[in-house]
Amino acid sequence: MIPTTRPRRAGRLGAAAAVRASLAALAASLAACALLGCASKEARVGLFLYNQADPYIEVFARQIRDESNSAFLAVQFDAGNSQLIQNEQIEAMIAKRPALMMINPVDRLASHALIRRLKAEDIPIIFFNREPLAEDMAIWDRCYYVGARAEQSGQMQAELAMSLFGNDPSGLNEYDRSGDGVIQVIILKGEQGHQDAELRTRELLRSFEARGFSIEILAIEVANWKRDEAYEKMGALLRSHQDRLELVASNNDAMALGAIMRMRQQGFFKDDDQSGKVDRFDDSWRPVVGIDGLVEAEESIREGYLYGTVKNDSLSMAKAMVELARRAIGGPDSGELHYRLQDEKYIWIDYQPFIR
Amino acid sequence: MKTEPSRSASIGFDIFVAIVAVAAVMVVMSLLVSLAIFVGTLDEFAESRSSEINKQIVMNYEGYINSVIETANYIQFASFNLDLGRDAAALEAIYRSNADIKSDVVSVYLFDGSGRRLIGPQLDFGTGNDIAARPWFRSALALEQVFHFNAEPQTSIAENRDEGVIAVTKAVEFLDGGATEEGVLLIELDRQAISDLARKSNLGQGGHLLILDEAGALLYSSEPEPRAMSERSHRLAAGMYLGAERAVIGGQEMALNVNTLVHTRWRIVTVSNVNEINDARARLLGISVLILAISIALSAAAAGYVSVRISRPIGRLKETMLRIEGGDLDAPIEVSGQREISQLSHSFTSMVARIRELMASLVDEQKEKRKTELRALQNQINPHFLYNTLDSIVWLAEHKRNKDVITTVVALARFFRISISKGQTFIPVEDEIAHIENYLTIQSIRYVDRFAYDIAVPPEMLGMRMMKLILQPIVENAIYHGVGDADGRIAITGRLEDGRMAFAVSNTGYGIGEEKIREMYDIMRGGGERGGVGIRNVYQRLKLFYGDAADIRIDSVPDESTTVTVFMPAQPGQEG
Repeated sequence: MIPTTRPRRAGRLGAAAAVRASLAALAASLAACALLGCASKEARVGLFLYNQADPYIEVFARQIRDESNSAFLAVQFDAGNSQLIQNEQIEAMIAKRPALMMINPVDRLASHALIRRLKAEDIPIIFFNREPLAEDMAIWDRCYYVGARAEQSGQMQAELAMSLFGNDPSGLNEYDRSGDGVIQVIILKGEQGHQDAELRTRELLRSFEARGFSIEILAIEVANWKRDEAYEKMGALLRSHQDRLELVASNNDAMALGAIMRMRQQGFFKDDDQSGKVDRFDDSWRPVVGIDGLVEAEESIREGYLYGTVKNDSLSMAKAMVELARRAIGGPDSGELHYRLQDEKYIWIDYQPFIR
Repeated sequence: MKTEPSRSASIGFDIFVAIVAVAAVMVVMSLLVSLAIFVGTLDEFAESRSSEINKQIVMNYEGYINSVIETANYIQFASFNLDLGRDAAALEAIYRSNADIKSDVVSVYLFDGSGRRLIGPQLDFGTGNDIAARPWFRSALALEQVFHFNAEPQTSIAENRDEGVIAVTKAVEFLDGGATEEGVLLIELDRQAISDLARKSNLGQGGHLLILDEAGALLYSSEPEPRAMSERSHRLAAGMYLGAERAVIGGQEMALNVNTLVHTRWRIVTVSNVNEINDARARLLGISVLILAISIALSAAAAGYVSVRISRPIGRLKETMLRIEGGDLDAPIEVSGQREISQLSHSFTSMVARIRELMASLVDEQKEKRKTELRALQNQINPHFLYNTLDSIVWLAEHKRNKDVITTVVALARFFRISISKGQTFIPVEDEIAHIENYLTIQSIRYVDRFAYDIAVPPEMLGMRMMKLILQPIVENAIYHGVGDADGRIAITGRLEDGRMAFAVSNTGYGIGEEKIREMYDIMRGGGERGGVGIRNVYQRLKLFYGDAADIRIDSVPDESTTVTVFMPAQPGQEG
């Protein structure tokens, strides 16, 4: 009897003690949280993407998560290109009291409401990829923007082209196939009305103009950032401008790759010396320049088709965002900031030209 | 062992209370839990529904705004390579056709940087000079990248059009004479379109939607005049930038949902009626109370039935047991009820039967024992008397009183015949009387008529039966104690009294004192050992057989008489 009852009683006492101990531990940790703030270690950060289907954004998000590894826990949301869904996701996240939110807004104008909403909750925001209006950014001193200047991408793209053409507006080199001193160009535009598409196109043209290069726009075609659409539309464009074409400038890499595919079908980019690589000195080669720096674009550059691209340096942006986040959560002493914080709000990351 | 019926409750009551209490607690608990879950779910449901409605409405507006923006983009796109100087007619056509195709577009204009009309219908008289000063024009140039929506109350600037409009503007570039110029594109939207969109939504009774600009100013309310709720809902919504809240507006429970509106910095606030939740909650509460009442009533009925089913047979068994406890071993035992109860009853029945058997055998044993004792006592009488009588006969014979010897011997013979009476214990009263007559005959010869006697027994008693040899020792006693002097008298009377026979034997004489009487009672009950063997013998035999129904009383009147009365049950003349 005794050997059977005694351990049982001991067990019961043990369980009660364990419960009491765990309660005490819980209470202690709660108290510790209340006193010290649990933010530093278990800080949660909402990472809101406008659309994960965008490969650039997907890579960017992965870089942010990788960089944030030790600093905080990034909880990712995909708005699927709907501001409504993003609003819902942000509302849901507010209830979980995150230390900070990183938001890539679907609609840059919605940032106005987001800033006001999160200001009321005192949750700092780092916007990325789409820049809110300056007057909205001014609403609160705990909202930041990390990104690149869209103008710069257009300028760099123009510079890539101009250096290929010899950097001398009065004496274009052999890439001026017609020898008329004017560059005949087809421009592939992203979305009509899209801020980036407009800026990239405008800055491209302005840069040529500023440097005194004469260009003739054979066509500006809107292909909505899409490879397939560029491929389709390039067919018609080549039919009328094939003979005169000297340069293709695309608002992004995807459309540039679509254009190259069509151009290859139309007899451009011949590998005449059978070297396995396309030779830019070949008569059928035409420079195509993109923006973004997709992996496929880099590949295409190595193979000799795409002349160059302007890389959106998302890795640097991710690093800047994580450093900034750490500072915003933990105060000015929490880690160095290796990037210039303009107006205590903006970090600008330069584009990087990329050619073979 | 008899236990007092304690103050603790009965089994039936305990069962009833336990069942009802358990049922009540369980029902109340499950009702509370389901009520809480239900109300929570209901709230969630209302929240998600109002947010879905809000999303639906916002999507309607987004679709509309996107279509306007597409129109603007299309106009820009279509006029991309057209020069205002060379292709003015083509540009005019593009602008006009876009204004005409869309019914809610009132007009489309292109202004140059100074506000001069380049493309678009004739301006209303007098409006031409102040275009550059209009807010929509200034904001478009101030911030070039985005579309500007201006919802200030205003009418169309076009000639002969006086619809209320919303001005959508954007800074655009255009070619004029080969040069790229900057201007402002204006699309005037019919204000009515916003109201039409709002009308499609179902926000419930009193539900309405508000559109607020970035400063929180009310641009539009769908509530019909007079706006009873808008003021309050606007005040509530002014501090909300996203998300949902609940508020009671105009006595109705309303859900406010705020969302952004694409391409604008505006907010759409839907105020939807969720009062039905209150109704549903009240209804649920009512149903819950009803369920509670019904289930408690049902459980009470079930508990009552079960407790009666269990406790009634037990109660009956208890009553039976009490009766048996009181001595009624023949009380019928109820054996119906649940299995346990009937088993209990069966056991109890067999136990009672066993007790009855045991008691019967005990009674038999006692009877047997009494018979033996009785016989022994009866047998004590005769030798004593026989000795005295034979002594008398010897004495009579010595005195040659032959006649008396004959009489005595005959009486003795009769006396013994009755004494023996074929071994029976009970004999007719008549025989007992004859017995004492024989005895008196013998004694009167022995004591030579020193006493007289007389016997008076009513004839109805003669046929009754009584224990034999009861009166003789008493009469013997009376003779010894009472017949000291001459003229002694012995009277033997029989009577019926309260269903009992009473035989009084009295003798004249000095009588006896109280003390002597007490002493005689003691002797009768077996107290002392000396003297009075006869009367004690009688008393013990009577008690042995009749118990309390028989008794002996001794009365005495000093200097007069002493009477000994024997009581015993009157038995009819049958063998007992």
